[in-house]
Amino acid sequence: MKKNNKRGVLMFAHNNTEIDYFKLAVVNSLLVQKNLGIKNITVVTDPHSLEHGEKTLGKRLIKKAINNIIVVEKDKKFKESNLRVYKDTSHKAETLSFYNANRCDAYDISPYEETLLIDVDYLVLSNTLNQCWDHNNELMMNWKYQDIMFERKDDTLKRLHDTGITMYWATVVYFRKTEYVKNFFELVKHVKQNAPYYRDIYRWPGTLYRNDYSFSIAAHMIEGFVDKAIPQLPTTLYKSFDTDDIHSADGLNSIIMYLERPDEPGNFILTKWKDIDLHVMNKWAINRVSKELIDYVK
Amino acid sequence: MSTRLTKALEFTNYRATLNNQKNQLKAKTQSLLSYSINGGSFTIDVPLITFCKQLLDEGQKEVVLLDIYKNPIKVDVEKFYDEIYSRYFEVTNDYYAEYEKLRQSRKVHKILDLNEEE
Repeated sequence: MKKNNKRGVLMFAHNNTEIDYFKLAVVNSLLVQKNLGIKNITVVTDPHSLEHGEKTLGKRLIKKAINNIIVVEKDKKFKESNLRVYKDTSHKAETLSFYNANRCDAYDISPYEETLLIDVDYLVLSNTLNQCWDHNNELMMNWKYQDIMFERKDDTLKRLHDTGITMYWATVVYFRKTEYVKNFFELVKHVKQNAPYYRDIYRWPGTLYRNDYSFSIAAHMIEGFVDKAIPQLPTTLYKSFDTDDIHSADGLNSIIMYLERPDEPGNFILTKWKDIDLHVMNKWAINRVSKELIDYVK
Repeated sequence: MSTRLTKALEFTNYRATLNNQKNQLKAKTQSLLSYSINGGSFTIDVPLITFCKQLLDEGQKEVVLLDIYKNPIKVDVEKFYDEIYSRYFEVTNDYYAEYEKLRQSRKVHKILDLNEEE
């Protein structure tokens, strides 16, 4: 681990049989270096994902992208039981393992005094996240999001349940090492360990464990059961969905997207997304353009 | 389908793309008009700039402003004003240039800066 651990970015990357999360982490690490000027990047992965990455990307590129790799063993039981439907546009869907068991350990794992915990598919295409450093708020995450197909609305993503608490997105979380934040992550762990109980109480849909749910519940609990109690990031969370696709990466920090029309599933309009960070939920799509993205940033 | 109807439908596709791209530009502008300093975050807008100019004209050196979280943030008025003033015009001038380019694009591929064959 390198010196100067004051600030850094933390990502989790565990492949499943289809999605190369580790490759996404490498792409995003290069983007983080280029756009945020941050060299301290920690990626938590497992032996298989790392081995696959070394074979397909090469050790040199990985070393250039990530300066701290933490290898952990997967919890097999969790891996086999936490399944979700991944879509590659409306035309293709597959049920695959969704391994997100250790994100609740982010506080313990992070070697940094200030951490930006981000999803590997949250593409850092600007320097706006630099606004978080040294902030008065020791913990920040978004509950508001903006779909980049601006006319598309989905009210089911606003709350855990129609009459339930507001849903925070664990996609990007800024935190400092403080007693308050430590307690917050203890609550996240507690919710994860007792997921069936909290699923009943907070009535989140389905059986899938999502960090968005446990982070939202912990946020509700830590402030004395108050909704929207944790401040949002000073940046907006922009999202595209798994029904969308990427046409191409046409330059540094520029992506052309196919966005599914809400009134015509399977039909798209194009949009150019440039110089703003973007959560791309179609993982296959990022993998398809990852070579172009790497070429622009390396 | 008649030629006129085909053309009309093509036009709706163009308008949908144009409107979404305009929203993208707005989003980028908003994002660039967010400014963090001394542990607080501000949205740079005309009222903030005007208020800071008034404070400067009154000879204020250091003041406490409420940021977007309504937290009190102490700032050096002159430095703060210079920063938000210059940033506001950098961002809005870029916005204007990109908006005008977009407004004059009459085809989807022009809106996106794509070659027609792509």
